[in-house]
Amino acid sequence: MELRNKKVIVTGGVSGLGRSMVELFLSKGAAVTVFDLNAQGLDQLAQTHPTVVGFQCDLSDYDQVAATTARFHERFGAADVLVNNAGIIYSAPLVCLSPAGIVRHDVAMWRKVLDADLSSVFYTTLCVIEKMIATRTRGVVVNISSVSAAGNVGQSAYSAAKAGVNALTATWAKELGMMGIRVAAVAPGYSETGSTKSALSEPVLKEIVKRVPLRRLGKPEEIAQAVVAVVENDFFTGKVFEVDGGLVV
Amino acid sequence: MQEKVQTILVDVLHIPALQVRDSLAMKEVETWDSMRHMELVASIEQTFGIELTMDEIVSMISVGDIKRVLRGRGLEG
Repeated sequence: MELRNKKVIVTGGVSGLGRSMVELFLSKGAAVTVFDLNAQGLDQLAQTHPTVVGFQCDLSDYDQVAATTARFHERFGAADVLVNNAGIIYSAPLVCLSPAGIVRHDVAMWRKVLDADLSSVFYTTLCVIEKMIATRTRGVVVNISSVSAAGNVGQSAYSAAKAGVNALTATWAKELGMMGIRVAAVAPGYSETGSTKSALSEPVLKEIVKRVPLRRLGKPEEIAQAVVAVVENDFFTGKVFEVDGGLVV
Repeated sequence: MQEKVQTILVDVLHIPALQVRDSLAMKEVETWDSMRHMELVASIEQTFGIELTMDEIVSMISVGDIKRVLRGRGLEG
């Protein structure tokens, strides 16, 4: 897909990896809309990039997603590209031993992570794809997964959510390919983002970097490049593109 | 056109050619569900080199309807 003048939605595009994606899509001439919970961040994004349209939305809430996509469709028609990037990182073991005894994984956090990282992808794609099909738009959906989808110590909820994202990616690629719609995923490894740094301590990150063959964290723009490559390559669908410095080999 | 439509229906719905008649409706064929309908659309588009509109897609609820849509696109035979 040639990106010039294409309508691209990036969820969670205010900061981190999403912000890099927004900027790369803009440099390719795309018309970018961001769905994000952070209203202040959307205002700041619009100041830096006046052509970016922002919609505040809690993507883990189906009613909000439906209303927000309806507003988008009313204003712009069907999207050409959807990047499901929004999500949260939460790290906790299933159970851990502490001086106070055995501490269980917080069940409320399990639900919150699944809602934010998996259900949000389902809700947004559901609403966006309907319009793509109705207008026979041969669009692309890129889901941001993670190398944690294979199972990562201390990340039950996050790993399960991302494995679910991979399953949705394969399912939708099979279902929607016949309509000319592609669905793929990009799975970053550990990257230089605020969310990674707040989720993992400095010593843990140092240990992780030692396990990465390239001995460094990924840069957000490198993940954005992978997302754009997936969108631009018309024969790529149903697969997970791992961009992790060789961490999973 | 009629022969090609028959071939598509047999291939996609896995029904015998003899069962294909204009009055055969989606609701009568167990395998003709919403997923298979999308497959039918894709096969028809590929075979005839056309892109169907949403109105045409939802109106194709019988073999006769499919042929009517295709005749509307100038495909005869």
